[in-house]
Amino acid sequence: MVSFLSKASSLLLRSCQNPKPNRNIRRLLSILSSPTPSSSVASSHARRWIPRQGAAFREISRWREFCSREFCSSAAEESQAKNLDGMTVDDIVAKEWTVLEEDASDWKSHAAAIALSIQLVKKRMQWKKMLIRLDQLSMAVSKSDIWDDPVYAGRICREHGLLMGKMKEVNGFEQELLDHIDMLKLAREENDSDIELDCISSLIQIRRKLKEKELEALLSGNNDSYSCYIEVQAGAGGTESMDWASMIMNMYKSWGERRGYIVTVVDEMPGEIAGIKRATIKVDGKYAFGYAKAEIGVHRLVRISPFDSAKRRHTSFSAVAVIPILGDLSSRYKINDSDLRIERFRSGGAGGQHANTTDSAVRIVHIPTGITATCQNERSQHQNKASAMSVLQCRLDQLEMARQAQMNSEHTRSLTDISWGNQIRSYVLHPYQMVKDMRTNFEVSDPYSVLEGDIDCFILNFLSTSLEKDED
Amino acid sequence: MGFLGEKDMFCCLPICSFRFTCSRSRGQIRFCSSSRPLSITTTSAPLFLRPLSHNTTSSHLQTFHAWAKSLAFSSNHPDPPHLIRELTWLLQDATSDPHTSFLQLGTTHPIWRVPLRVELKELYVLWKARVEERRPLQYIVGCEHWRDLILVVRDGVLIPRPETEMMVDFVKEIDGSESGLWADLGTGSGAIAVAIGKMLGEDGKVFAVDLSQTAVEVAEINVERYGLKDKVEVRHGSWFEPLEDVVGKLTGVVSNPPYIPSKHIPGLQVEVGKHEPQLALDGGEDGLHHLLHLCEGCLSVLKSGGFFGFETNGDEHSELIAGLMKTRWSGQFRDVKVIADFAGIKRFVTGFKM
Ligand SMILES: C[S@@+](CC[C@H](N)C(=O)[O-])C[C@H]1O[C@@H](n2cnc3c(N)ncnc32)[C@H](O)[C@@H]1O
Repeated sequence: MVSFLSKASSLLLRSCQNPKPNRNIRRLLSILSSPTPSSSVASSHARRWIPRQGAAFREISRWREFCSREFCSSAAEESQAKNLDGMTVDDIVAKEWTVLEEDASDWKSHAAAIALSIQLVKKRMQWKKMLIRLDQLSMAVSKSDIWDDPVYAGRICREHGLLMGKMKEVNGFEQELLDHIDMLKLAREENDSDIELDCISSLIQIRRKLKEKELEALLSGNNDSYSCYIEVQAGAGGTESMDWASMIMNMYKSWGERRGYIVTVVDEMPGEIAGIKRATIKVDGKYAFGYAKAEIGVHRLVRISPFDSAKRRHTSFSAVAVIPILGDLSSRYKINDSDLRIERFRSGGAGGQHANTTDSAVRIVHIPTGITATCQNERSQHQNKASAMSVLQCRLDQLEMARQAQMNSEHTRSLTDISWGNQIRSYVLHPYQMVKDMRTNFEVSDPYSVLEGDIDCFILNFLSTSLEKDED
Repeated sequence: MGFLGEKDMFCCLPICSFRFTCSRSRGQIRFCSSSRPLSITTTSAPLFLRPLSHNTTSSHLQTFHAWAKSLAFSSNHPDPPHLIRELTWLLQDATSDPHTSFLQLGTTHPIWRVPLRVELKELYVLWKARVEERRPLQYIVGCEHWRDLILVVRDGVLIPRPETEMMVDFVKEIDGSESGLWADLGTGSGAIAVAIGKMLGEDGKVFAVDLSQTAVEVAEINVERYGLKDKVEVRHGSWFEPLEDVVGKLTGVVSNPPYIPSKHIPGLQVEVGKHEPQLALDGGEDGLHHLLHLCEGCLSVLKSGGFFGFETNGDEHSELIAGLMKTRWSGQFRDVKVIADFAGIKRFVTGFKM
């Protein structure tokens, strides 16, 4: 009841600022202002307001509808949310109010924390770019011939809806913050400590919600929420570097398992003596791609090689690529069956009844592009084929995305496109111990815990630096 | 994609009306169904269906894994890395953990308890048999993953081959294949019949025929496991003999009959020659004995326009059969095709009765 009151009053107050109040507003005013809410007992508010609540609510929602029709047409036109004193979220940040702990009762501290969070979330969402994109999309959506290509139209509409939703969510937080500030002031003028306390507890809730949003905003890329494949390829240098490739792969396997993802090996080419030449794993779960894309590039290892009898120090490299598994079927690359060649991977001999083997690896070649996919870890040929087919599909999707330049170019690179010069992280086991990310300069002095999958700190650091840098 | 669903299969088993109970005192595991109980002895019960009534620790399993790996690499097996993959599958079936994560836990949590479906020492025995006696993994674990199915297999029944999966695709591609009467001749584990049975609609039916009593029993287990008792009827007997009541009525006949020329039997890969049933492999002097009988016979059981699909020993045999259909049986078959498997061997002959 109290929160209804607070919403109603602040809406009413804001509506008073409108230069040309219409009939709806006048009626709203008359309904809300007849009994003056002055008592400090919440229950008496309730008793007095209940009979009118239904009518008021109907009026308010009608009014909301009216507003959204009249004023919220374009995204970029969107004027900044202001409170009654004309204060914006940026103004609040500029006041540099001290941010105290969550349990403090100073409302300014909460307001400042919320305002800062909103700014960070916007930065991470790449707000300015998003508004530009939203305008492009709005234009495309409003074209009359858009449905001539239903696949394209579907994709555009979905993206438009998605961005719209994100924008509205943030705008909602801004509005809520400003409304509560207005309400607080009103409550203080009226000496209504109940409403004041209620507002502060609402601010605390908003503050908590926004803390979660800050993290979510790191993963707000188009494909971030999808599962993915991670591929690792050993660089030159024989067994030492193949061993490094398998160490990196194990790092990702345990990282994935720690995060609660389902990790399966799809394809693995073992080295002759140790390690792997290359391998592909599937990481199944929400946001797997969003996180793992931070790992794309070349990883460098410096250590005394256990494979060198002279115990010399070696430097090896492994390349990592990450491919999203798109959930949205309509945006996927359309494969013609006749463009495929399916082969048994290690054939030889008469086959059929002559051979008993559990090895049913298949390789699928997409003839027009030359792109291939192999799977050997499933227990039936049918499933190896299905699994290879989904890898192939994702590789082709990735190619298509690169073609349409829909995705940030560095995230679309396949293994073959990654240049060995592009080192993103260095793992030193000897003569000192350190893992350092070359992109962010973030470093950790315990390489073994990193190799056991403790890489979230690197990932989050990279995501926040790159997003926040990008937006400036 | 269908792929995910297929993986989930593993978790959904047992399927439908199938239940199993275990009475260890009698050393039997019983497959119970509403109508007729089928029972198989403990040693031949598929590993993945046995109860988790034993247990060990992650470090013991790690020790086993290390031993098994070194045994594989010191053996004269032609493809040790693949044996290691089989080892993973053995451990998947013997535990309830499809990701064998206990192997990593061995170092960090050595006394982590891992429930097992056999005693740990039995695992050693099983792996020794795999590596030293070259006993096929599928007989050891009692199942074979084939298409999206997990088929029960045991000694005396041919382990379905990956090539044969394609037969089902041929049937799938035919218009109207989801209805009518079908026959899988020499059904073995029931692989093809079960896969076709799963695709059939209301009014479809498959007759699964085999001469071997063991094959009939195992096929029945698989039919029941997939809840297909009203779609697949297993019949005991030689080729067309048990089908007298449906002569001229069949929509399609498929078969993977024994086709290895007798003289090649002694030189077969150990897993095949020493462990799989001769009755399922020996195709007579030239390997064509049964195939020719099937070509001839399907003309009478098929209705006009009916489909046939046969697996052969490869290249020359497929060409020869396709040739005969144009000469010896000229005017009786149409659209005869020779189709290669994924290894590029012309493995199949398909077509229609006029
Ligand atoms: C190569 S296996 C095929 C089994 C199964 N269809 C598959 O593809 O896995 C051949 C089967 O034919 C059966 N068979 C051999 N002679 C037969 C006959 N005269 N009549 C019926 N079945 C026979 C064998 O018992 C064996 O199960």
